[in-house]
Amino acid sequence: MSGALSPRLRGLLALGGGALVAGLATGHAELAVLATPFLVFVGLGLALAREPHLTAHIDVERARLLEGEHVTATVTLVNDGAHAVEVEVGLAHSRYLALEPAEPIVLQLMSAATVAIEVSVRPERWGAHSLGPLAVRARAPIGAKTWDLHLGERTALRAFPREQRLRELVVPLRMQPFLGAHVGRARGAGIEFADTRPFQAGDVARQVNWRASARRGTLHVTERHPEQASDVVLLLDTFAEAREGARGTLDAAVRAAATLARAHLARRDRVGLVDFGGTLHWLEPAFGTAQLYRIIDALLSSEIAFSYAWRATESIPRRVLPPGALILAVTPLLDERSLRLVTDLRMRGCDLTVIEVSPLDHTTPGPAPADRLAFRLWRLQREALRARLQGLGIGVAVWADDETLGPALEGVNAFRRSARHALRV
Amino acid sequence: MTLLAEIAIVVVAAVAVAVSVALVPSESRARRHRPPRPEPARPGQLVTLERLLVMARVSALQVHAYLRPILVEIASQRLAARGQALERMPEATGRRILGDDLWDIVRPGRPFPENRHGPGVAAPDLEAMLEVLERL
Repeated sequence: MSGALSPRLRGLLALGGGALVAGLATGHAELAVLATPFLVFVGLGLALAREPHLTAHIDVERARLLEGEHVTATVTLVNDGAHAVEVEVGLAHSRYLALEPAEPIVLQLMSAATVAIEVSVRPERWGAHSLGPLAVRARAPIGAKTWDLHLGERTALRAFPREQRLRELVVPLRMQPFLGAHVGRARGAGIEFADTRPFQAGDVARQVNWRASARRGTLHVTERHPEQASDVVLLLDTFAEAREGARGTLDAAVRAAATLARAHLARRDRVGLVDFGGTLHWLEPAFGTAQLYRIIDALLSSEIAFSYAWRATESIPRRVLPPGALILAVTPLLDERSLRLVTDLRMRGCDLTVIEVSPLDHTTPGPAPADRLAFRLWRLQREALRARLQGLGIGVAVWADDETLGPALEGVNAFRRSARHALRV
Repeated sequence: MTLLAEIAIVVVAAVAVAVSVALVPSESRARRHRPPRPEPARPGQLVTLERLLVMARVSALQVHAYLRPILVEIASQRLAARGQALERMPEATGRRILGDDLWDIVRPGRPFPENRHGPGVAAPDLEAMLEVLERL
């Protein structure tokens, strides 16, 4: 490892060398005398420069945490060399990690000394982040030479999205023949009362409703609604986003998708995921906690991939969209391709609901008066678009990032219960 | 003696320059390792509308071909929520509800402008139209 001459030393060398050459060329001894201290300074600096022997280790308290949580990273720096060295330490990190202290730390490391520096790390949003390696600039005495080193390993840090508690979910129109937590429309074995009917051969005695039988004089049995599960497919739109600073619609969309996945899996639904954007990723519907971790892992790698590719419904594998599945499209409704997909799925008879992650919170009007008019027109245009989707029978839940998702879903359920809208499909 | 004094002054000045240059801090490499902040992403729909409104102020063609369909969609949706249909609305009712300026743009069967290079919609007029639509 060889260090580099520092810029200031190069400057001094140029000054001294220039003055010396000028003195020799013009025959003026004063210029040579003037050059001497510069050259002495350069020689002294080079003589004192010793290659540093540093090792470092980065230790993170926890590698998995929630977005916004703090975690402490301990950076241990060891000087194995025989000389003291001045070091400037900075921790390389991915974009959405906030470090405290944020500025590089300058310290004097004595020979055979060990220093531990604690850095507070906070992921500003969910994602698979990385911390390290350590960017170290070691300086020789009087700053003659510098050595730029990368020490320590890159450490992975996974920040999971913050989720909300949901009391109410979008009720699927069609159920699957699995035991679940949704009250089905069919009659069968269950808890929820449906109706009574006269006894038929084959009915079990346990179903006999003795009160109804006594009132009507003949045997009547109780019919019940079965508790069933449904297939739910989360469609995450990653074509486009609106972003201001560290907050964007994709961040909120991932939070909504994680919340919905956990809530539906807790109700024993089969949940799948389609990341529909510039690149297409999917997870087939499945049950259980393992599926939740698979979905969240897939969500953490979601990103807006700019693409001109025109994706249609045929791009999605059939097994990912089982017949009768409830499709929850989490989208900011910003890209024509996602609008076309939503419309196309509805035209094919899919049970579809749009969770619109409002981009209005992540967009500010431009400075010109005409820009403010454009913003107002855009808001009106989005309302018209929402009405157009509702006219197709698609429930639209508008969700602002700082609000809870529950009320928006309640509005969708009210819309879906409305026969007036159903007839307009 | 004078020469020696001059040499001493030059040497002292050179040392002073060298020391002051040496004390200047160099650029921090670690600071340069900081990742860039994410770029703000403005929605393409909004950017398109901003450009459209600029063009719509100076071109009747832009108003008819691009701004009118948007205004028609918005007006239709908002009137439909009140149980009214723009395409079957009598002119007198339309003028009363939407105002003369907006009705002249969104009225059914509006002909293509004779002078396509004619002036478009002034900003105050457009603002008044938006106020009407927002009130609906």
